[in-house]
Amino acid sequence: MNSEEIIEKLKSAKGDKLKDTEVTLGDAIVHLEPGSLHEVAEFLKSDPDLHFDYLSCISGVDYLDLEREPRFECVYELHSMDKNHSIRLRVGVPEEEPSVPTVKDLWPAAIYPEREIYDMFGLTIEGHDEQKRLLMPEEWEGHPLRRDYDLTREKVAFSHNLDFKEELVKEKVPTRYKPNQV
Amino acid sequence: MSVAEEGLLERNKDTMTLNMGPQHPSTHGVFRVVLEMDGEMVRSSDPDIGYLHTGIEKTGETKLYAHCIPMTDRLDYLNPPGNNLAFCLSVEKLLQTEIPARADYLRVIMCELTRVASHLLWLGTHALDIGAMTVFLYCWRERELILDLNEMISGVRMMTSYVRVGGVMKDATPEWIAGVKHVVDILPEKVDEYESLLTRNPIWMDRTIGAGVMTKEEAIQWSMSGPCLRASGVNFDFRKQRPYSRYQDFKFDVPVLTNGDVYDRYRVRVAEIRQSREIIKQAIENLPEGPYKVEDNKISLPDRDKLKTSMEALIHHFKLVSEGVKVPEGETYVPTEGPRGEVGFYIVSDGSGIPYRMKLRAPSFMAIPGMCAMMRGSYIADVVAIIGSVDIVMGEVDR
Repeated sequence: MNSEEIIEKLKSAKGDKLKDTEVTLGDAIVHLEPGSLHEVAEFLKSDPDLHFDYLSCISGVDYLDLEREPRFECVYELHSMDKNHSIRLRVGVPEEEPSVPTVKDLWPAAIYPEREIYDMFGLTIEGHDEQKRLLMPEEWEGHPLRRDYDLTREKVAFSHNLDFKEELVKEKVPTRYKPNQV
Repeated sequence: MSVAEEGLLERNKDTMTLNMGPQHPSTHGVFRVVLEMDGEMVRSSDPDIGYLHTGIEKTGETKLYAHCIPMTDRLDYLNPPGNNLAFCLSVEKLLQTEIPARADYLRVIMCELTRVASHLLWLGTHALDIGAMTVFLYCWRERELILDLNEMISGVRMMTSYVRVGGVMKDATPEWIAGVKHVVDILPEKVDEYESLLTRNPIWMDRTIGAGVMTKEEAIQWSMSGPCLRASGVNFDFRKQRPYSRYQDFKFDVPVLTNGDVYDRYRVRVAEIRQSREIIKQAIENLPEGPYKVEDNKISLPDRDKLKTSMEALIHHFKLVSEGVKVPEGETYVPTEGPRGEVGFYIVSDGSGIPYRMKLRAPSFMAIPGMCAMMRGSYIADVVAIIGSVDIVMGEVDR
Protein backbone atom coordinates (compact mmCIF):
# COMPACT_ATOMS: atom_id res chain seq x y z
CA MET A 1 0.00 0.00 0.00
CA ASN A 2 1.21 3.51 -0.60
CA SER A 3 1.10 6.22 2.03
CA GLU A 4 -2.25 7.69 0.94
CA GLU A 5 -3.96 4.29 1.06
CA ILE A 6 -2.56 3.58 4.53
CA ILE A 7 -3.89 6.91 5.82
CA GLU A 8 -7.27 6.30 4.13
CA LYS A 9 -7.57 2.85 5.66
CA LEU A 10 -6.59 4.08 9.12
CA LYS A 11 -8.99 7.04 8.91
CA SER A 12 -11.94 4.84 7.99
CA ALA A 13 -11.35 2.53 10.95
CA LYS A 14 -10.04 4.80 13.72
CA GLY A 15 -10.83 8.28 12.40
CA ASP A 16 -12.11 9.59 15.73
CA LYS A 17 -8.91 8.62 17.55
CA LEU A 18 -6.54 10.53 15.26
CA LYS A 19 -5.60 14.13 15.90
CA ASP A 20 -4.31 14.77 12.41
CA THR A 21 -2.89 12.94 9.41
CA GLU A 22 -0.54 14.03 6.65
CA VAL A 23 1.56 12.68 3.81
CA THR A 24 4.79 14.67 3.71
CA LEU A 25 7.68 13.86 1.36
CA GLY A 26 6.01 10.52 0.69
CA ASP A 27 5.85 9.43 4.34
CA ALA A 28 2.54 8.54 5.98
CA ILE A 29 2.39 10.48 9.26
CA VAL A 30 -0.26 10.28 11.96
CA HIS A 31 -0.56 12.67 14.91
CA LEU A 32 -1.98 11.17 18.08
CA GLU A 33 -2.81 11.88 21.70
CA PRO A 34 -1.01 9.67 24.22
CA GLY A 35 -4.39 8.28 25.34
CA SER A 36 -5.23 6.80 21.93
CA LEU A 37 -1.74 5.54 21.08
CA HIS A 38 -2.19 1.99 22.29
CA GLU A 39 -5.52 1.43 20.59
CA VAL A 40 -4.30 2.78 17.23
CA ALA A 41 -1.02 0.83 17.52
CA GLU A 42 -2.91 -2.36 18.24
CA PHE A 43 -5.10 -1.83 15.18
CA LEU A 44 -2.05 -1.10 12.99
CA LYS A 45 -0.43 -4.31 14.10
CA SER A 46 -3.43 -6.63 13.93
CA ASP A 47 -5.14 -5.42 10.74
CA PRO A 48 -4.26 -7.93 7.97
CA ASP A 49 -3.95 -5.25 5.25
CA LEU A 50 -1.70 -2.97 7.29
CA HIS A 51 0.14 -5.52 9.44
CA PHE A 52 2.80 -3.28 10.97
CA ASP A 53 4.66 -6.07 12.73
CA TYR A 54 8.04 -4.36 13.04
CA LEU A 55 8.94 -1.47 15.34
CA SER A 56 11.88 0.32 13.81
CA CYS A 57 12.61 3.01 16.36
CA ILE A 58 11.17 5.42 18.89
CA SER A 59 12.58 8.93 18.91
CA GLY A 60 11.92 11.63 21.45
CA VAL A 61 11.88 15.30 20.55
CA ASP A 62 11.72 18.31 22.86
CA TYR A 63 10.12 21.27 21.07
CA LEU A 64 10.86 23.79 23.84
CA ASP A 65 12.95 26.12 21.65
CA LEU A 66 10.39 26.11 18.87
CA GLU A 67 7.68 26.94 21.44
CA ARG A 68 5.42 24.28 20.10
CA GLU A 69 2.52 22.79 22.05
CA PRO A 70 2.64 20.11 23.36
CA ARG A 71 6.27 20.34 24.35
CA PHE A 72 7.41 16.74 23.86
CA GLU A 73 6.87 14.33 21.07
CA CYS A 74 7.46 10.57 20.82
CA VAL A 75 7.88 9.40 17.25
CA TYR A 76 7.24 5.75 16.44
CA GLU A 77 8.58 4.41 13.16
CA LEU A 78 6.79 1.24 12.07
CA HIS A 79 7.43 -1.12 9.15
CA SER A 80 5.58 -4.08 7.77
CA MET A 81 7.92 -6.90 6.80
CA ASP A 82 5.62 -8.67 4.32
CA LYS A 83 3.71 -5.65 2.95
CA ASN A 84 6.82 -3.45 2.73
CA HIS A 85 5.31 -0.17 3.83
CA SER A 86 5.90 2.21 6.73
CA ILE A 87 4.09 4.67 8.92
CA ARG A 88 5.18 7.25 11.45
CA LEU A 89 3.20 7.93 14.60
CA ARG A 90 3.85 11.30 16.23
CA VAL A 91 2.52 11.39 19.75
CA GLY A 92 2.46 14.83 21.36
CA VAL A 93 3.14 14.70 25.10
CA PRO A 94 2.30 17.78 27.21
CA GLU A 95 4.80 19.00 29.79
CA GLU A 96 2.17 18.97 32.57
CA GLU A 97 1.49 15.28 32.14
CA PRO A 98 4.68 13.77 30.73
CA SER A 99 3.68 10.18 30.16
CA VAL A 100 3.01 7.82 27.26
CA PRO A 101 1.60 4.29 27.39
CA THR A 102 3.99 1.46 26.64
CA VAL A 103 3.79 -0.52 23.40
CA LYS A 104 6.00 -3.26 24.82
CA ASP A 105 3.14 -5.77 24.76
CA LEU A 106 2.73 -5.28 20.99
CA TRP A 107 6.40 -5.03 20.02
CA PRO A 108 8.68 -6.46 22.74
CA ALA A 109 11.62 -4.63 21.16
CA ALA A 110 10.14 -1.36 22.50
CA ILE A 111 11.65 -2.14 25.89
CA TYR A 112 14.97 -0.40 25.15
CA PRO A 113 13.86 2.67 23.20
CA GLU A 114 11.19 3.35 25.83
CA ARG A 115 13.77 3.20 28.59
CA GLU A 116 15.90 5.54 26.54
CA ILE A 117 12.99 7.99 26.25
CA TYR A 118 12.63 7.93 30.03
CA ASP A 119 16.37 8.36 30.50
CA MET A 120 16.89 11.17 28.00
CA PHE A 121 13.59 13.10 28.25
CA GLY A 122 12.13 12.09 31.58
CA LEU A 123 8.82 10.96 30.14
CA THR A 124 7.08 8.31 32.21
CA ILE A 125 6.26 5.13 30.33
CA GLU A 126 2.97 3.80 31.69
CA GLY A 127 2.97 0.06 32.11
CA HIS A 128 6.72 -0.36 31.66
CA ASP A 129 7.84 -2.53 34.57
CA GLU A 130 11.53 -1.74 34.25
CA GLN A 131 11.57 2.02 34.23
CA LYS A 132 15.15 2.99 34.97
CA ARG A 133 18.06 4.69 33.29
CA LEU A 134 19.61 3.02 30.30
CA LEU A 135 22.57 4.99 29.01
CA MET A 136 23.24 7.41 31.85
CA PRO A 137 24.42 6.24 35.29
CA GLU A 138 21.58 5.34 37.62
CA GLU A 139 22.21 8.22 40.05
CA TRP A 140 22.37 10.86 37.33
CA GLU A 141 20.27 13.96 37.80
CA GLY A 142 18.31 15.52 34.96
CA HIS A 143 17.45 14.33 31.50
CA PRO A 144 20.19 15.24 29.02
CA LEU A 145 18.27 15.54 25.75
CA ARG A 146 15.82 18.09 27.13
CA ARG A 147 16.53 21.44 25.55
CA ASP A 148 16.78 23.20 28.92
CA TYR A 149 19.35 20.75 30.27
CA ASP A 150 22.41 22.66 31.43
CA LEU A 151 25.30 21.59 29.24
CA THR A 152 28.14 23.34 31.00
CA ARG A 153 27.62 22.75 34.71
CA GLU A 154 26.89 19.19 35.57
CA LYS A 155 27.29 17.43 38.86
CA VAL A 156 30.35 15.22 39.20
CA ALA A 157 29.11 11.67 39.15
CA PHE A 158 32.35 9.73 39.32
CA SER A 159 34.91 10.41 41.96
CA HIS A 160 37.78 8.62 43.58
CA ASN A 161 36.86 10.39 46.75
CA LEU A 162 36.09 7.75 49.34
CA ASP A 163 33.43 9.79 51.18
CA PHE A 164 31.45 10.06 48.01
CA LYS A 165 31.58 6.32 47.44
CA GLU A 166 30.62 5.60 51.03
CA GLU A 167 27.59 7.81 50.58
CA LEU A 168 26.53 5.69 47.66
CA VAL A 169 26.91 2.52 49.66
CA LYS A 170 24.81 4.01 52.42
CA GLU A 171 22.01 4.72 49.99
CA LYS A 172 22.52 1.27 48.45
CA VAL A 173 22.21 2.69 44.98
CA PRO A 174 24.20 0.76 42.38
CA THR A 175 26.29 -2.18 43.48
CA ARG A 176 28.93 -1.61 40.86
CA TYR A 177 30.33 1.43 42.70
CA LYS A 178 30.91 -0.56 45.88
CA PRO A 179 34.31 0.50 47.23
CA ASN A 180 37.01 -2.05 47.86
CA GLN A 181 37.77 -2.78 51.49
CA VAL A 182 40.64 -0.50 52.45
CA MET B 1 42.69 -15.00 44.79
CA SER B 2 39.98 -17.06 43.23
CA VAL B 3 37.16 -15.61 41.22
CA ALA B 4 34.64 -16.53 43.91
CA GLU B 5 36.58 -14.74 46.64
CA GLU B 6 36.67 -11.55 44.61
CA GLY B 7 32.92 -11.52 44.70
CA LEU B 8 32.47 -11.96 40.99
CA LEU B 9 30.56 -15.18 41.50
CA GLU B 10 27.75 -15.21 43.97
CA ARG B 11 26.23 -18.53 44.91
CA ASN B 12 22.59 -18.30 45.77
CA LYS B 13 20.50 -21.43 46.18
CA ASP B 14 20.52 -23.18 42.83
CA THR B 15 21.47 -20.35 40.53
CA MET B 16 24.71 -18.48 40.27
CA THR B 17 25.16 -14.89 39.16
CA LEU B 18 28.02 -14.44 36.75
CA ASN B 19 29.29 -11.09 35.60
CA MET B 20 30.60 -10.86 32.06
CA GLY B 21 32.27 -7.71 30.83
CA PRO B 22 32.55 -4.79 30.36
CA GLN B 23 36.17 -5.67 29.60
CA HIS B 24 35.51 -9.12 28.21
CA PRO B 25 37.24 -9.65 24.86
CA SER B 26 34.30 -11.42 23.23
CA THR B 27 31.90 -8.56 23.83
CA HIS B 28 33.76 -6.47 21.23
CA GLY B 29 33.63 -3.29 23.20
CA VAL B 30 32.33 -2.29 26.57
CA PHE B 31 29.23 -4.40 26.91
CA ARG B 32 28.41 -5.87 30.30
CA VAL B 33 25.91 -8.64 30.87
CA VAL B 34 24.98 -10.25 34.16
CA LEU B 35 24.06 -13.89 33.62
CA GLU B 36 21.99 -15.93 35.99
CA MET B 37 23.34 -19.44 35.63
CA ASP B 38 21.66 -22.70 36.46
CA GLY B 39 24.62 -25.04 36.23
CA GLU B 40 25.89 -24.46 32.72
CA MET B 41 22.57 -23.14 31.46
CA VAL B 42 21.78 -19.44 31.21
CA ARG B 43 18.51 -18.82 33.00
CA SER B 44 18.33 -15.09 32.38
CA SER B 45 20.61 -12.29 31.33
CA ASP B 46 20.60 -8.65 32.30
CA PRO B 47 22.53 -6.40 29.94
CA ASP B 48 24.13 -3.19 31.12
CA ILE B 49 25.05 -0.61 28.50
CA GLY B 50 26.07 3.02 28.48
CA TYR B 51 29.81 2.73 29.13
CA LEU B 52 30.57 4.36 25.80
CA HIS B 53 27.87 7.02 25.95
CA THR B 54 29.32 10.19 24.42
CA GLY B 55 26.15 12.19 23.82
CA ILE B 56 26.61 12.50 20.08
CA GLU B 57 22.89 13.19 19.61
CA LYS B 58 23.10 16.09 22.05
CA THR B 59 26.30 17.41 20.48
CA GLY B 60 24.63 17.25 17.08
CA GLU B 61 22.08 19.81 18.23
CA THR B 62 24.85 22.42 18.44
CA LYS B 63 26.76 21.66 15.23
CA LEU B 64 26.24 22.51 11.56
CA TYR B 65 25.07 19.67 9.32
CA ALA B 66 28.53 19.42 7.78
CA HIS B 67 30.06 19.10 11.26
CA CYS B 68 27.68 16.28 12.13
CA ILE B 69 29.06 14.06 9.39
CA PRO B 70 32.41 13.27 11.08
CA MET B 71 30.44 12.50 14.26
CA THR B 72 28.30 9.96 12.43
CA ASP B 73 31.52 8.14 11.48
CA ARG B 74 32.15 7.47 15.12
CA LEU B 75 28.78 5.94 15.84
CA ASP B 76 29.15 2.64 14.04
CA TYR B 77 32.89 2.85 13.59
CA LEU B 78 32.97 -0.18 11.28
CA ASN B 79 30.57 1.42 8.81
CA PRO B 80 31.48 5.12 8.46
CA PRO B 81 30.29 5.69 4.85
CA GLY B 82 27.01 3.90 5.62
CA ASN B 83 26.32 6.21 8.54
CA ASN B 84 27.30 9.27 6.52
CA LEU B 85 24.98 8.09 3.78
CA ALA B 86 22.04 7.55 6.14
CA PHE B 87 22.53 11.05 7.56
CA CYS B 88 22.96 12.68 4.15
CA LEU B 89 19.94 10.89 2.67
CA SER B 90 17.72 12.30 5.43
CA VAL B 91 19.10 15.80 4.93
CA GLU B 92 18.80 15.51 1.15
CA LYS B 93 15.22 14.33 1.48
CA LEU B 94 14.41 17.52 3.36
CA LEU B 95 16.35 19.56 0.80
CA GLN B 96 14.67 17.58 -2.01
CA THR B 97 17.82 17.51 -4.11
CA GLU B 98 18.61 15.15 -6.93
CA ILE B 99 22.04 13.57 -6.55
CA PRO B 100 24.15 13.04 -9.72
CA ALA B 101 24.57 9.44 -10.88
CA ARG B 102 28.33 9.38 -10.41
CA ALA B 103 28.00 10.47 -6.79
CA ASP B 104 25.44 7.75 -6.14
CA TYR B 105 27.66 5.10 -7.70
CA LEU B 106 30.67 6.25 -5.67
CA ARG B 107 28.54 6.16 -2.54
CA VAL B 108 27.41 2.63 -3.35
CA ILE B 109 30.97 1.45 -4.00
CA MET B 110 32.20 2.94 -0.72
CA CYS B 111 29.30 1.51 1.26
CA GLU B 112 29.73 -1.95 -0.21
CA LEU B 113 33.51 -1.93 0.29
CA THR B 114 32.87 -0.99 3.91
CA ARG B 115 30.27 -3.74 4.21
CA VAL B 116 32.91 -6.22 3.03
CA ALA B 117 35.48 -4.78 5.46
CA SER B 118 32.98 -4.86 8.31
CA HIS B 119 31.99 -8.46 7.60
CA LEU B 120 35.66 -9.44 7.34
CA LEU B 121 36.38 -7.91 10.71
CA TRP B 122 33.32 -9.64 12.11
CA LEU B 123 34.30 -12.99 10.61
CA GLY B 124 37.85 -12.76 11.93
CA THR B 125 36.93 -11.81 15.48
CA HIS B 126 33.94 -14.13 15.65
CA ALA B 127 36.08 -17.08 14.53
CA LEU B 128 38.74 -16.01 17.03
CA ASP B 129 36.15 -16.02 19.83
CA ILE B 130 35.19 -19.57 18.99
CA GLY B 131 38.83 -20.62 18.65
CA ALA B 132 39.73 -20.48 14.95
CA MET B 133 42.82 -18.29 14.94
CA THR B 134 43.91 -18.52 11.31
CA VAL B 135 40.75 -16.98 9.83
CA PHE B 136 41.44 -13.82 11.80
CA LEU B 137 44.80 -13.33 10.10
CA TYR B 138 43.39 -14.03 6.64
CA CYS B 139 40.51 -11.61 7.11
CA TRP B 140 42.82 -8.86 8.29
CA ARG B 141 44.93 -9.30 5.17
CA GLU B 142 42.03 -8.46 2.84
CA ARG B 143 40.58 -5.81 5.10
CA GLU B 144 43.91 -3.99 4.86
CA LEU B 145 43.46 -3.65 1.08
CA ILE B 146 40.09 -1.97 1.60
CA LEU B 147 41.45 0.38 4.26
CA ASP B 148 44.22 1.35 1.83
CA LEU B 149 41.54 2.18 -0.75
CA ASN B 150 39.77 4.33 1.85
CA GLU B 151 42.99 6.20 2.46
CA MET B 152 43.56 6.65 -1.25
CA ILE B 153 40.18 8.29 -1.86
CA SER B 154 39.56 10.20 1.37
CA GLY B 155 42.91 10.49 3.12
CA VAL B 156 41.73 8.50 6.15
CA ARG B 157 41.75 4.77 6.67
CA MET B 158 38.66 4.33 8.81
CA MET B 159 36.73 7.51 9.66
CA THR B 160 36.41 8.55 6.04
CA SER B 161 33.60 11.17 6.19
CA TYR B 162 33.46 10.53 2.46
CA VAL B 163 29.76 10.99 1.82
CA ARG B 164 28.72 14.64 2.06
CA VAL B 165 25.42 16.44 1.77
CA GLY B 166 24.86 16.81 -1.98
CA GLY B 167 27.38 14.24 -3.18
CA VAL B 168 30.73 12.92 -2.12
CA MET B 169 33.90 14.57 -0.89
CA LYS B 170 36.25 13.86 -3.79
CA ASP B 171 36.17 12.32 -7.23
CA ALA B 172 37.60 8.86 -7.86
CA THR B 173 41.12 8.71 -9.25
CA PRO B 174 42.26 6.13 -11.87
CA GLU B 175 44.56 4.53 -9.27
CA TRP B 176 41.66 4.08 -6.88
CA ILE B 177 39.50 2.56 -9.60
CA ALA B 178 42.32 0.14 -10.43
CA GLY B 179 42.62 -0.72 -6.74
CA VAL B 180 38.88 -1.43 -6.45
CA LYS B 181 39.07 -3.65 -9.55
CA HIS B 182 41.94 -5.53 -7.93
CA VAL B 183 39.87 -6.16 -4.78
CA VAL B 184 36.94 -7.27 -6.93
CA ASP B 185 39.20 -9.71 -8.78
CA ILE B 186 40.79 -11.37 -5.77
CA LEU B 187 37.81 -11.38 -3.40
CA PRO B 188 35.99 -14.57 -4.58
CA GLU B 189 38.98 -16.86 -4.12
CA LYS B 190 39.76 -15.30 -0.74
CA VAL B 191 36.19 -15.89 0.44
CA ASP B 192 36.54 -19.50 -0.78
CA GLU B 193 39.62 -19.69 1.38
CA TYR B 194 37.75 -18.57 4.53
CA GLU B 195 34.93 -20.93 3.74
CA SER B 196 37.34 -23.85 3.28
CA LEU B 197 38.52 -23.18 6.83
CA LEU B 198 35.07 -22.92 8.41
CA THR B 199 31.98 -23.92 6.45
CA ARG B 200 32.54 -27.70 6.54
CA ASN B 201 34.82 -27.66 9.57
CA PRO B 202 33.30 -30.18 12.05
CA ILE B 203 34.42 -28.21 15.13
CA TRP B 204 32.96 -24.99 13.74
CA MET B 205 29.71 -26.75 12.84
CA ASP B 206 29.44 -28.36 16.27
CA ARG B 207 29.93 -25.02 17.97
CA THR B 208 27.55 -23.02 15.81
CA ILE B 209 24.73 -25.21 14.45
CA GLY B 210 21.71 -25.03 16.75
CA ALA B 211 23.25 -22.34 18.96
CA GLY B 212 21.28 -19.17 19.63
CA VAL B 213 18.28 -20.12 17.53
CA MET B 214 15.81 -17.36 16.73
CA THR B 215 12.64 -18.08 14.81
CA LYS B 216 11.18 -15.84 12.13
CA GLU B 217 8.45 -14.50 14.44
CA GLU B 218 10.90 -13.82 17.25
CA ALA B 219 13.30 -12.04 14.93
CA ILE B 220 10.53 -9.69 13.79
CA GLN B 221 9.08 -9.02 17.23
CA TRP B 222 12.52 -8.27 18.70
CA SER B 223 13.23 -5.87 15.79
CA MET B 224 16.35 -7.68 14.67
CA SER B 225 17.64 -6.38 11.38
CA GLY B 226 20.19 -7.08 8.70
CA PRO B 227 21.89 -10.50 8.57
CA CYS B 228 20.27 -11.63 11.86
CA LEU B 229 16.82 -11.09 10.37
CA ARG B 230 17.66 -12.74 7.07
CA ALA B 231 19.26 -15.76 8.76
CA SER B 232 15.89 -16.34 10.45
CA GLY B 233 14.06 -16.54 7.14
CA VAL B 234 12.77 -12.99 6.66
CA ASN B 235 13.51 -11.74 3.17
CA PHE B 236 13.91 -8.06 3.90
CA ASP B 237 16.69 -5.83 2.70
CA PHE B 238 16.24 -2.09 2.24
CA ARG B 239 18.58 -2.14 -0.76
CA LYS B 240 16.04 -4.38 -2.55
CA GLN B 241 12.79 -3.43 -0.86
CA ARG B 242 13.20 0.35 -0.96
CA PRO B 243 16.18 1.15 -3.14
CA TYR B 244 18.10 4.33 -2.34
CA SER B 245 21.21 5.71 -4.09
CA ARG B 246 20.35 3.82 -7.31
CA TYR B 247 20.64 0.33 -5.82
CA GLN B 248 17.91 -0.60 -8.31
CA ASP B 249 20.56 -0.39 -11.08
CA PHE B 250 22.45 -3.40 -9.78
CA LYS B 251 21.68 -7.09 -10.01
CA PHE B 252 22.28 -8.90 -6.75
CA ASP B 253 20.65 -11.51 -4.56
CA VAL B 254 19.61 -11.18 -0.95
CA PRO B 255 20.85 -14.27 0.89
CA VAL B 256 18.13 -15.70 3.14
CA LEU B 257 18.44 -18.79 5.34
CA THR B 258 15.87 -20.27 7.66
CA ASN B 259 17.45 -21.92 10.71
CA GLY B 260 18.24 -18.68 12.52
CA ASP B 261 21.23 -20.08 14.40
CA VAL B 262 24.82 -18.88 14.67
CA TYR B 263 25.86 -21.01 11.71
CA ASP B 264 23.21 -19.48 9.43
CA ARG B 265 24.14 -15.96 10.46
CA TYR B 266 27.70 -16.85 9.51
CA ARG B 267 26.62 -18.19 6.13
CA VAL B 268 24.40 -15.19 5.40
CA ARG B 269 27.27 -12.80 6.06
CA VAL B 270 29.71 -14.76 3.91
CA ALA B 271 27.14 -14.81 1.10
CA GLU B 272 26.68 -11.06 1.57
CA ILE B 273 30.40 -10.51 1.01
CA ARG B 274 30.04 -12.27 -2.34
CA GLN B 275 26.94 -10.22 -3.25
CA SER B 276 28.64 -6.96 -2.24
CA ARG B 277 31.46 -7.90 -4.56
CA GLU B 278 28.92 -8.29 -7.38
CA ILE B 279 27.55 -4.81 -6.69
CA ILE B 280 31.02 -3.24 -6.56
CA LYS B 281 31.94 -4.98 -9.82
CA GLN B 282 28.87 -3.65 -11.64
CA ALA B 283 29.26 -0.17 -10.17
CA ILE B 284 32.94 0.23 -10.96
CA GLU B 285 32.51 -1.07 -14.53
CA ASN B 286 29.54 1.19 -15.24
CA LEU B 287 30.75 4.22 -13.28
CA PRO B 288 28.98 7.11 -15.04
CA GLU B 289 30.79 10.27 -16.10
CA GLY B 290 29.68 13.60 -14.73
CA PRO B 291 29.82 15.66 -11.57
CA TYR B 292 30.41 13.96 -8.22
CA LYS B 293 28.33 16.48 -6.27
CA VAL B 294 25.36 18.72 -6.99
CA GLU B 295 26.07 21.90 -8.91
CA ASP B 296 24.05 24.01 -6.49
CA ASN B 297 26.64 25.84 -4.40
CA LYS B 298 24.11 26.55 -1.69
CA ILE B 299 24.33 22.85 -0.85
CA SER B 300 27.81 21.68 -1.81
CA LEU B 301 31.11 23.53 -1.68
CA PRO B 302 32.35 25.09 -4.93
CA ASP B 303 35.49 23.66 -6.54
CA ARG B 304 38.71 24.82 -4.99
CA ASP B 305 40.22 26.35 -8.17
CA LYS B 306 37.07 28.40 -8.81
CA LEU B 307 37.67 30.29 -5.57
CA LYS B 308 40.62 32.09 -7.14
CA THR B 309 38.70 33.44 -10.12
CA SER B 310 35.03 33.68 -9.20
CA MET B 311 33.70 36.14 -6.62
CA GLU B 312 30.41 34.24 -6.47
CA ALA B 313 32.15 30.98 -5.65
CA LEU B 314 34.07 32.72 -2.88
CA ILE B 315 30.85 34.08 -1.36
CA HIS B 316 29.17 30.68 -1.59
CA HIS B 317 32.17 29.05 0.02
CA PHE B 318 32.20 31.56 2.87
CA LYS B 319 28.45 31.31 3.48
CA LEU B 320 28.45 27.54 3.36
CA VAL B 321 31.38 27.15 5.73
CA SER B 322 30.20 29.76 8.23
CA GLU B 323 26.42 29.24 8.15
CA GLY B 324 26.05 25.80 6.66
CA VAL B 325 23.42 24.47 4.33
CA LYS B 326 19.95 25.81 5.15
CA VAL B 327 17.65 22.83 5.45
CA PRO B 328 13.91 23.56 5.10
CA GLU B 329 11.70 23.09 8.14
CA GLY B 330 10.41 19.56 8.58
CA GLU B 331 11.21 16.12 9.88
CA THR B 332 12.10 12.92 8.11
CA TYR B 333 13.55 9.46 8.39
CA VAL B 334 15.21 7.41 5.63
CA PRO B 335 16.04 3.77 6.38
CA THR B 336 19.15 2.30 4.79
CA GLU B 337 20.79 -1.10 4.99
CA GLY B 338 24.07 -1.12 6.87
CA PRO B 339 26.26 -4.17 7.55
CA ARG B 340 24.44 -4.71 10.87
CA GLY B 341 20.96 -3.84 9.66
CA GLU B 342 18.65 -0.88 9.38
CA VAL B 343 20.47 2.42 9.87
CA GLY B 344 18.57 5.65 9.65
CA PHE B 345 18.55 9.16 11.00
CA TYR B 346 15.41 10.82 12.26
CA ILE B 347 16.14 14.49 11.65
CA VAL B 348 14.04 17.45 12.74
CA SER B 349 14.99 20.72 11.09
CA ASP B 350 13.90 24.19 12.19
CA GLY B 351 15.07 25.81 8.95
CA SER B 352 18.55 26.75 10.17
CA GLY B 353 21.95 25.26 9.42
CA ILE B 354 21.92 23.22 12.62
CA PRO B 355 19.76 20.11 13.10
CA TYR B 356 17.13 20.67 15.77
CA ARG B 357 17.26 16.99 16.62
CA MET B 358 19.14 14.09 15.11
CA LYS B 359 18.38 10.59 16.28
CA LEU B 360 20.13 7.48 15.09
CA ARG B 361 18.22 4.28 14.62
CA ALA B 362 21.02 1.90 15.55
CA PRO B 363 20.65 -1.77 14.58
CA SER B 364 22.95 -2.95 17.39
CA PHE B 365 21.00 -0.98 19.99
CA MET B 366 17.71 -2.53 18.92
CA ALA B 367 19.27 -6.02 18.74
CA ILE B 368 20.43 -6.21 22.37
CA PRO B 369 17.10 -7.30 23.96
CA GLY B 370 16.72 -9.89 21.19
CA MET B 371 20.25 -11.10 21.74
CA CYS B 372 19.50 -11.60 25.43
CA ALA B 373 16.37 -13.54 24.49
CA MET B 374 18.61 -15.82 22.40
CA MET B 375 20.91 -16.43 25.36
CA ARG B 376 18.06 -17.67 27.55
CA GLY B 377 18.34 -21.44 27.85
CA SER B 378 21.65 -21.70 26.04
CA TYR B 379 24.93 -22.95 27.45
CA ILE B 380 27.50 -20.57 28.86
CA ALA B 381 29.97 -21.51 26.14
CA ASP B 382 27.43 -20.48 23.50
CA VAL B 383 26.99 -17.00 24.96
CA VAL B 384 30.29 -15.95 23.39
CA ALA B 385 29.21 -17.38 20.04
CA ILE B 386 25.82 -15.64 20.26
CA ILE B 387 27.25 -12.21 21.11
CA GLY B 388 29.73 -12.63 18.27
CA SER B 389 27.10 -13.71 15.77
CA VAL B 390 24.81 -10.73 16.38
CA ASP B 391 27.77 -8.44 15.69
CA ILE B 392 27.08 -5.51 17.99
CA VAL B 393 29.13 -2.34 17.84
CA MET B 394 29.08 -0.47 21.13
CA GLY B 395 29.76 2.87 19.47
CA GLU B 396 26.24 2.93 18.06
CA VAL B 397 24.61 1.19 21.03
CA ASP B 398 25.68 3.88 23.48
CA ARG B 399 26.01 6.79 21.04
